[in-house]
Amino acid sequence: MSNKTAGINRHRSFSLARVFAITTNTLTELTRLKVFYILLIFALLLIGSSVFMARLTFQQEFQILKDVSLGAMSIFTSLLAIIATARLIPQDIEDRTVYTILAKPVPRFEYIVGKLTGVLLLLSISMLVMSAMFLAVLYLREQTVLHETLRQMSAAPREQIDDALRAIRSSALNIDILPGIVIIYLKACLLAALTLFVSTFATTNIFTIVVMVVIYFIGHLQATAREYWLQEHSTGWMTRAFLALVALIFPDLQTFNLVDDIVVGAAIPLGLVAKTVVLGVFYTTIYTFLAAFVFYGKEL
Amino acid sequence: MMRFVCRAAALRRPVLVIAMVLAFGVMKLPTERALFVQHRQLHFRDVEFNLDLREKIGQLGFIAALSGFRSIVADALYIQAHVAWERTEWGRVLLLFRQITTLQPRAILFWDMAAWHMAWNASVAAMNDQTQPRLALRVKAQREYFALGKDFLERGIKNNPEKPQLYDALARLYKEKYEDHASAFEFYAKAAVLPGAWSYEKRFAAYELSYCEGREREAYERLRQLYDAGKNERLPTLITRLKFLEQKLNIPNEQRIPENAH
Amino acid sequence: MSDAAVTVSGLTKVFPVPFHREPVIAVRNLDLRIEPGEVYGLLGPNGSGKSTTLKIILGLVSPTRGRTEIFGRDSSLVESREAVGFLPENPYFYKYLTGEETLRFFGKLCGLSGSRLRERADQLLELVGLTNVRSRRLSTYSKGMLQRIGLAQALIHEPKLVVLDEPTAGVDPAGSCDIRNLIVDLKRRGITVLLSSHLLAQAQEICDHVGILANGVLVREGRLEELIAIENRTELVLENASDALVDRINALATSSNAKLIARRRSTTTLERLFLDATNNPKEKS
Repeated sequence: MSNKTAGINRHRSFSLARVFAITTNTLTELTRLKVFYILLIFALLLIGSSVFMARLTFQQEFQILKDVSLGAMSIFTSLLAIIATARLIPQDIEDRTVYTILAKPVPRFEYIVGKLTGVLLLLSISMLVMSAMFLAVLYLREQTVLHETLRQMSAAPREQIDDALRAIRSSALNIDILPGIVIIYLKACLLAALTLFVSTFATTNIFTIVVMVVIYFIGHLQATAREYWLQEHSTGWMTRAFLALVALIFPDLQTFNLVDDIVVGAAIPLGLVAKTVVLGVFYTTIYTFLAAFVFYGKEL
Repeated sequence: MMRFVCRAAALRRPVLVIAMVLAFGVMKLPTERALFVQHRQLHFRDVEFNLDLREKIGQLGFIAALSGFRSIVADALYIQAHVAWERTEWGRVLLLFRQITTLQPRAILFWDMAAWHMAWNASVAAMNDQTQPRLALRVKAQREYFALGKDFLERGIKNNPEKPQLYDALARLYKEKYEDHASAFEFYAKAAVLPGAWSYEKRFAAYELSYCEGREREAYERLRQLYDAGKNERLPTLITRLKFLEQKLNIPNEQRIPENAH
Repeated sequence: MSDAAVTVSGLTKVFPVPFHREPVIAVRNLDLRIEPGEVYGLLGPNGSGKSTTLKIILGLVSPTRGRTEIFGRDSSLVESREAVGFLPENPYFYKYLTGEETLRFFGKLCGLSGSRLRERADQLLELVGLTNVRSRRLSTYSKGMLQRIGLAQALIHEPKLVVLDEPTAGVDPAGSCDIRNLIVDLKRRGITVLLSSHLLAQAQEICDHVGILANGVLVREGRLEELIAIENRTELVLENASDALVDRINALATSSNAKLIARRRSTTTLERLFLDATNNPKEKS
């Protein structure tokens, strides 16, 4: 057996360097798709909504600003996750770049992981930028309202001013928003991994995207179907089988919707956040594994 | 390992994938349910998406609300309610607020605004209604709006028992609209003990109690305690109410607060 | 047996066609053995199973039956790909990368890094004559340049075997001449080359060994000169020969029972004419 390979290290079954090469390349590929226009739309939405809210009181303004921003962050990252991921593998297969990559000593698993981490990196960059814009706008508005209140209340007793300022602060930034943002990100990661999985057996990008949109909607209803399946025993077996399938196949996306409640100031226990994070990571890992599994059997 | 699995499965891969998806579904089910139960306990999923709501907010809004845009749909309806209020369409304001609070029952603001529109704005408008010449009917309409406001606040409290703001609003409603000082006292006192309560809740509770026949002693003690707590609490109303009670309860002179206290 | 660069034994590949009962048989019971250091040409018309065979050798497609090995390692193992470089047909690389970045990307996939990777990329850019366009995006490269960068990327990890799928398809004569020269150069350095082609004239110029596939079956196989030699014929090429001399040779041949079959003026090939005419200042830094 002639095993001498001119000075190259022995082959490793998993190499971070290779994954990293694919990741950075995927990120470059995605940034060139002008996906960051979505961030621009987000900025416009922020500005637009704050102009619109000029006539509301500060509590209303803050709440709507938070609802709109976090809602937009949620839909934009989910969309970005689906659209950016759907075309990655089909594009590589169509352009035959996948041949060149896999003809190198690159395990298919690394290729899948590299592609996905590229998307996840893109998502975290977008998430960071959107969070920064959102927090900046919120902070600026908070400061403005604080200043105005101080000016108007300059004659009032110290205690009343303190109460008023506290009310403003508590309705503007609240630290629970951060776990909410983390969970929005996790939902996007889950969707990206699921999209990658679907794209390994889909025949066209459009198919992948349509399937993912359907999954997105059904995923939000999954909990209803699941509870109905597990609690109502009077329905026919066909209905029950259908509900069971929905509950087993689809992820419960409603679990990742904590922001609706965080925005209005509901305190989220740390244990709940931790559990949701674990579930999100679990989903992402499983879908990545499934994507790799299907990809291993794929004839290129 | 992966390689072995993959080669063994080469032919039956689709079947295997489906089996794996289902197996994973079974694995995730308990965690999902546990989270669901916890959400329920925290009132995160008390929103009832029934047919009634679908008819009210329309198909599109209903789908949006279902798929993670509940609060945005609620905001949109809130803005519609704002417009309806500017046009003094009270029936519409009521209807919209019912939907808004159904969609977003954890938002204090919505319950508070709903009650305020009913008990303060709509009730006054009903009282001044030029198209209704009979006073008795105008008064009746006004009292109905008070009740609607009270109902919003009570349901809001049920959904958010830990927030002082709605107790405060309900106390104010009892005080100003029903002149029911005992109930006003009850809710100010409830608000006062919750975290994040305004500093005046305790004081207001004591004021209300001071109007309640037969509870003067209790009220006196509360007011005196506040008076002793420091200069911050010695506001004109407090001193007036305290002196009134000292008089009424015949407190010995040496125990009374100074005549020129302020 | 593990001395061979590539061994293919009993290889069959069947592609099931959805909603059809008849599957497509791309390769049928194929046996091949490619010795180290030779240039092997897999020839055949389009759809004869050349590409499928190459993909199976590279582990991109799994065989239905039979097995393939590269230097004794089964193609289904990722490690087997350490010893092989691949240039796909009409390669498409990431257009937004420059030539240099492309080489660095593929180098990293092969476990290269740091100064070694830089050196190797420099050498290969030099070898394929793209040093002066190294920092241009691939979107601005011509087809021939893409083919050359593709060859460079196949060589990045110094493989002992290079697999080229239709290396000269769609490339102009000058470009394909460059590639031909590069292949000859690889052979000189002891690298085994397996190429597929349907352009026979070019294959004839560079291959030591050829196999001809038709409908997934290997119909002819052997050393090129043995395959195409016509046993009972000999060619003479003369310079400055007068008609009289040729007549005398003819007479001599006839007298010894041989027969002059053709007598014509030597011509250059159209390709040589084209290359001479267009070979003005050719970029070769």
